[in-house]
Amino acid sequence: MEITKQTIQRVAEVSRLKLSESELKEFVAEFKEILDVFSKIDEVNTNDVEPSFQPVGLKNVLREDEAEKCLTQERALSQTRHKQDGYFKGPRVI
Amino acid sequence: MRIPEFVQAVKRGEIDIVEHTHKVLDICAHVNSEYHYFTAITQEALQRAKELSRRKEKRGVLWGVPVSAKDAISVMGVETTGGSRILKGYMPLFDATAVEKLRDEGAIIIGKTSQDEFGFGSFGINVGKGYEISLNPFDKRRVCGGSSAGSAGITQKLDTHASLGESTGGSIVNPASFCGVVGLTPTYGRVSRHGLLDYGTSFDKIGPMAKSVEDAAYVLSSISGHDKADATSANIKKEAFHSFVKKDIRGMKMGVIKGSLENADTLVQKGCQEGIRKLEEQGCEIRTIELPITMKYGVSCYYLLATAEASTNLARYCGMRYGTHEELKGDFNSYFSDVRSGHFGKEAKRRIMLGTFARMAGFRDAYYLKAAKIRTLIVNEYKKAFKRVDALVSPTVPKLPLTFDEVKRLSVLENYMFDVLTVGPNVAGIPHMSVPVSMQKGLPVGLMLMTDHFEEGKLVQIGSKAEMQKQ
Amino acid sequence: MKFDSDIVIGLEVHVQLDTKTKLFCGCPTKGSDEPNSRTCPTCLGMPGSRPVFNKKALEYGLKFAIATGSAISKQLVFSRKSYFYPDLAKNYQITQYELPLAKDGFITVNGRKIMLTRAHLEEDPAALVHPKGVGKSAYVLVDYNRSGNPLLEIVTEPMLRSPEEAREFLRELMKILSYLEIFDLKDGIIKADANVSIQRTGYARIEIKNITGFKEIEAALKYEVDRQRTEKVVTETRLWDSERRVTERLREKEAEIDYGYIVDSDLPMVEITDQMVEKISKEMPELAAAKMERFVKEHGLAKEDALVLTAEKTLAELYEKVAKHVERKLAAKWLRRELMRVVHYNKKELHEVIVDEGNLIALLGLVQEGKITEQVGQKLIEMLIERPFDVKAYVKKEGLAAVSDTKKLEKYCKEAIKENSKAVEDYKKGNEKALHFIVGAVMKKTKGKATPKEVNEILKRMVGR
Repeated sequence: MEITKQTIQRVAEVSRLKLSESELKEFVAEFKEILDVFSKIDEVNTNDVEPSFQPVGLKNVLREDEAEKCLTQERALSQTRHKQDGYFKGPRVI
Repeated sequence: MRIPEFVQAVKRGEIDIVEHTHKVLDICAHVNSEYHYFTAITQEALQRAKELSRRKEKRGVLWGVPVSAKDAISVMGVETTGGSRILKGYMPLFDATAVEKLRDEGAIIIGKTSQDEFGFGSFGINVGKGYEISLNPFDKRRVCGGSSAGSAGITQKLDTHASLGESTGGSIVNPASFCGVVGLTPTYGRVSRHGLLDYGTSFDKIGPMAKSVEDAAYVLSSISGHDKADATSANIKKEAFHSFVKKDIRGMKMGVIKGSLENADTLVQKGCQEGIRKLEEQGCEIRTIELPITMKYGVSCYYLLATAEASTNLARYCGMRYGTHEELKGDFNSYFSDVRSGHFGKEAKRRIMLGTFARMAGFRDAYYLKAAKIRTLIVNEYKKAFKRVDALVSPTVPKLPLTFDEVKRLSVLENYMFDVLTVGPNVAGIPHMSVPVSMQKGLPVGLMLMTDHFEEGKLVQIGSKAEMQKQ
Repeated sequence: MKFDSDIVIGLEVHVQLDTKTKLFCGCPTKGSDEPNSRTCPTCLGMPGSRPVFNKKALEYGLKFAIATGSAISKQLVFSRKSYFYPDLAKNYQITQYELPLAKDGFITVNGRKIMLTRAHLEEDPAALVHPKGVGKSAYVLVDYNRSGNPLLEIVTEPMLRSPEEAREFLRELMKILSYLEIFDLKDGIIKADANVSIQRTGYARIEIKNITGFKEIEAALKYEVDRQRTEKVVTETRLWDSERRVTERLREKEAEIDYGYIVDSDLPMVEITDQMVEKISKEMPELAAAKMERFVKEHGLAKEDALVLTAEKTLAELYEKVAKHVERKLAAKWLRRELMRVVHYNKKELHEVIVDEGNLIALLGLVQEGKITEQVGQKLIEMLIERPFDVKAYVKKEGLAAVSDTKKLEKYCKEAIKENSKAVEDYKKGNEKALHFIVGAVMKKTKGKATPKEVNEILKRMVGR
C-alpha cells in the first residue's frame, strides 16, 4: 500500500487539518509503519462474513412521533459568542 | 470504608456529609496540585451536600458518596471538554444520563478527571493542549495508564469514592491496572451513552472505577438501565450486581487466553499467577483458551474501526456553536481548518486522519469494511469460548506501569500495540474487569476477567474472590 | 453514454415529510419561526447528543415505496455522509447510502413510466441566511429550526426528455405525496438537484443544485437547456439563482468531495418485515389512479373529467362530498370547470382556498333543479370563493330565481324580435350566430335569469325556421 505525501495531504484536507511540512513528513512515515501492520487484515478469509457495525446485535429501536421540550433560543445560543439577532453566526461560504 | 458501610454510617448519623465533602474537596485540591487528576473540582459539591443532608426520605444507595467523572462525561453547568482545548469553556446544557442516575442515588459529584484528549491514549500522556499529565499514585515518575488516567489515580488516593471512567479500547481497565484499583467496563449498551463525548460510537462504554469490586458493583447498578435518549442502550432489567459478591465460584471454569501470560513481563506474569491461584484455591477449574484472530488482528481491527467513527464524531468541533472560538475571518474551510489545527493535540490529529483514511473512497473496502468483517469473527471467537468457560482471564496489560521516559521511546505503532490484551473485549462489547491482584516491586498488577454479554454479575462474582484484600 | 432523446434530465428531489417531529429528535417540525427556537442538543449537534429514529418517518417512507411499486429493503440502515459546511450541525449528515429504503419504483407521466432509481430517508441541514447576499457577506447566519427535519430523497433515472416533462413528473409526484398525506402541500418544502444534458454537447453532465419549489425547478431547467444550446459547456456543478433567473458555476473543478461513508452505529438497524409492509398497505388511502377508475366505472364520469377531478386530492374529496347530494355528472362538470376556473382566476390552488361546502352543495342543487340559470350560478360561485354566504337566502333576496314562466319569456322574446329585426333577417338567411345575438338580447332583459336553452327554443318557434 503506497502512502505518499499527496495521500496524507489529501487526508488532512478532507479532515480540515492544516499540517506543517515537518508534521506532514512525520505522518507519512507513521502511516506507512502503521498501515504495514494493519494491512495484514487482508490475510483473513472473510468470504461469507457479514460486517458488524455494532457488537451486541441490537435492532428495531424507534421512537413515537411526539413533540418533546425544546431549548429556548437563549439557551441554544448560550454556549457561543458568535451570534446575532437570534441566529448563530458562522464563517462565510463561497 | 466501602460504599455500603459509608452510606449506613451516614444514615445512622455517624458521618456528617457536609463535613465529609469538605474534607474530600480539600484532599482533592491538595492531591491535584501534585498529581493532576482533575480538570475541574466542583465547588458546588458543598451546596449539594448541604441539600442532601437536609433531606430525610428517598435516600439512595450512594447517599453522600463523593463521585468523580471522566471529563468526557457531561455534567451540567461544569466545564466539560473531553480533555481537549477545542472545547474550552463548554458547559453542557444537560447531564449525562449516568450522572443523572448517580445524582438520583444521592451521590455528590466532586469533579471532572483528567484524560487523554477525547480518549486517544493508553498512558494518559496524550493530554490536550494546555492540560497537565496525571502522575502514577505509587510513583510520580510513572504514568497512570489511559485514557481514564485521572479517574484511576484519584480513586487510589481517596478512601470512600468511586469514579466514572470510559472505555473504547481498554481505557477503564488499563489505568485501573496501572493505579491498583478496580475498573469495570460493562457490556456495550448496559449504561447509556447519552451525554458522553463520543470517541468510537460502537465501542464507547461508561463504567465504574473503585477501590473494591463491591463498590464498583453498587455504582454499576446505579448507572445502568435503558435510556430513551440513547438508541443503543440495552432494554434489559436493572440488576443488583453487588448481590453477586457473596456467591460462590466453586466449579466455575476459567479460560486463560493463550499467549497473554507468556507475552507479558515476568513480574506481571508472577502477579497474575497469584490471582489465578486464588481462584483455583476457591474451586475454579483453569483451562487455556485460544483466540487466534483476536490476538493477531484485534489491534488493527480496533484502530481502523474506532478511528473511522472518531473522525466523524470529532468533525463537529470546528469553533461554531460551542467551545473554543476564533475570530470569524476567511471562508468556512479555512476557518474550520484553523480552529481544528490550532486546538487539537497531535494524537487527536493523528487518529482523525487515520480514521478518515480508513473510510475514504478507494480504501474503504480494504480497511473500514474489512475490519468490520473481522469484528464479526472476533465476536464469534468470544461467543465460542464462552460455551466452554464461564470467564476468560488474562493480564490487563503486558507490563508494570511504565516510566515517562519509557513511554516517550515508544513509536506510535508500539503505543497502539500495547492495547493488545484490552482491545479484544472492547471490540466484542463484552463486559470485562481489572482487579488488582498483586504488588510487584511496589507497583500494582491487574488481572483482567471477561464474561459473555450482559453477564456483569459473573464478573463481580469472580472478581470479588480474586482481588487483593484491603481493610 | 447513449441516449435516445435530445435533452436528458435526471432529478434528485428532496421532499420534507409531514411528521410532527424531526427525524432524529422530538423537536417540532412546525411552530415558531423565531430562529433557533425549535432546537435541542441533538439537532444542534452538541457534544454527547445522539439521534433516535422517528417511526412515523419510516411509515411515510414505506407508504411512498408501496405507492410507487418500489422494491423495499429488508433492513433500514443509516449512514454518515461527512463534509464540512456551516449548515451541518455535526459536519456529517445522517442519510442512507448502501441500503436505501426503496429501489426501482416508478411514476407514470402521460403514459410513460419514469423510473425511480432510489428513494431514501435523510435529515435536513439548517437554514443559512446571507446578510449581504451569497458570496458577499463576511459571515453567515444559521437557523437550526430546520436542522434535522425529515426528508425523503427521490432520485429518477436520467430519462426525462424536457423541462415540461420534468414539470409534469413533479406534478404527478406531488399528487402522489398529497394522496398519501405524507407531505404538506401548503407549507411543505420541495427542493431538487437536476442533471441536464443535451445531444449537442455529447451529453456532458451538468448538475444544477438546490432549486427550491415546483415553479423554480421548471424555470431553472428551461434556462439551462437554452444555455447549453448556445454557450460553451463544460462538465460542472452550477447553482440556480432565483433572483437573477440564471444558473451560475458553483465551483471550479475542485477536488471531488470524498464523503467517507460509514454506518451510523448510533442507530441500530431496523428490520422491515412483510407484516409491516402489509399493515401499511392496508392503511393506505385510495390513490389517484384507483379513484379515477372508480369515478369512471361507478359514477359514469367521462375519463377527462375523472382525470381532472383526481389531479388534486382536495378536489377529488370535495367532489365525493358534493356528489352525495347533487347529480354526479353535474357535480363533476361544475367542480372541474366552474370552481377551478374561479380558483385559478384568483391565482390560487384549491388547497389554498376555503370552500364553503354546504353552500356549494346548495348552489349546485339550485342549478340542478333549474331554479337558477347557469349564468347566475357562475356568478354565485365567484362570490362563494371570495367569502362564504347563504346562497339560498341571497338568491331569494336579490330575486335571482330563474325566469321559468313561459308566458313571461315569450313576452320578452317577442320584444327582442321586434327590436332586432336585422338579426332576425340574418338568421332567416341561415346565419346561426344571429340567433345567439337575439338570445343575448333576451338574456339582458331577464338579467341573465332565463335559461338560454329555453329562450333558444322559444325564439326558433317564433321565427319559425
